[in-house]
Amino acid sequence: MLNLIKRDLLLSFYSSANFFFTVSFFVLILILIPFAIGTQSDQLKNLFKGVVWIALALSIIITVDRIYNADYEDGNLDIIMQKNKTIEYLVISKYVTHWFIYCLPLLVILPILSFLFYLDYLETIQIFINLFIGSFGMVFIANFVSALTLGAKRTIFLKAIIMIPLFVPFIIFGSDAGSWPILLGLSMLSFVISIYVTAYGLRLYGE
Amino acid sequence: MNELKIEDLSCKRGESKVLNNINLTIKSGETLVVKGRNGSGKTTLLRILSNFITSYQGKVSLNDLSILEDNLYNNKFNLIGQKNSLKDNLSIKKNLELWDIIFNETLDHVKLLEHDNLDHLINRDVGSLSDGQKKCISLYRLNYNKYEFWFLDEPFVYLDEVNTNLLIEKINRFNENMGIVILTSNINLPKKFHKEFNI
Repeated sequence: MLNLIKRDLLLSFYSSANFFFTVSFFVLILILIPFAIGTQSDQLKNLFKGVVWIALALSIIITVDRIYNADYEDGNLDIIMQKNKTIEYLVISKYVTHWFIYCLPLLVILPILSFLFYLDYLETIQIFINLFIGSFGMVFIANFVSALTLGAKRTIFLKAIIMIPLFVPFIIFGSDAGSWPILLGLSMLSFVISIYVTAYGLRLYGE
Repeated sequence: MNELKIEDLSCKRGESKVLNNINLTIKSGETLVVKGRNGSGKTTLLRILSNFITSYQGKVSLNDLSILEDNLYNNKFNLIGQKNSLKDNLSIKKNLELWDIIFNETLDHVKLLEHDNLDHLINRDVGSLSDGQKKCISLYRLNYNKYEFWFLDEPFVYLDEVNTNLLIEKINRFNENMGIVILTSNINLPKKFHKEFNI
């Protein structure tokens, strides 16, 4: 399990362009808001709280192909599955690396962005906590969608269509400052479902 | 002394039956060549032996213990499938580093690549190599040497004469150290191995 985490981190470090793309994608979506609706601070503030979730959802969607598909297509998944007899461990290490590589950078950059959108530090902290908790749940969902659609090539649209409805609860509750317990519940629920379904999808692929 | 035994093995893929009542025994130090037409189930057999496919009729056992129940079995074999397991956008050196972590074993890559006449490629991106060169690098995984079995799926495809002989030499050496090799092949090999089986 630790080996796999180490390997995935090294792999993303070697192909660090991927990680840079995700961060710039996230920032660019948010920067589009003032262009569309102007720069009145109150409006911007309110919109930011919602749109930041849409940006996070889209950023996770564009990374979903890299969770299992890349390793599946070049054959590394066979080796990884052979070395990790307990597939659940494999899945958990994928959660950790996927969140670490693609979500953590977005959270790190969030305070700078919220400063640009006139949010004060208290509001920023609230958004940060919500995004921190919610991003785990979204990563769990992305993982199981990725595992279930293994072998179907170039199906990013299909994956997006499956994932977006599943992200809706996170987006509904995410933009409300005090609702982090609900997000925590949603994330825990998606963990339970995801670990079961992801492991099932991977075993099915092995067949 | 290991003995891998396949008894009355049958397997269905979708609607069609690809393996029908196969009986085989293979002992330490032997090589089995599985031959058969395209789609006859050679790869399926290897995937059953590597515990990827678990729904089949019959029994596969190592020293009389079913491979499905043997918890240590997965650490005993090295499977080289038809895919190369290489990242196209990275150099060979980086790919080998990633393998080192997965295989949990650090090899002296420069020396080993030199032995296979591949050392000049070490800094090249995998994407820029020919299929034959990729296959050679993919077979480099045989250097990880904690294993008692090698399962090779079409290992000779794309290889030229020199590399074919190198691989045969490696297989012979592995057999001398009591390793078991099961390989699939469609072509006529320059050397006869211990056992041959037509699916």
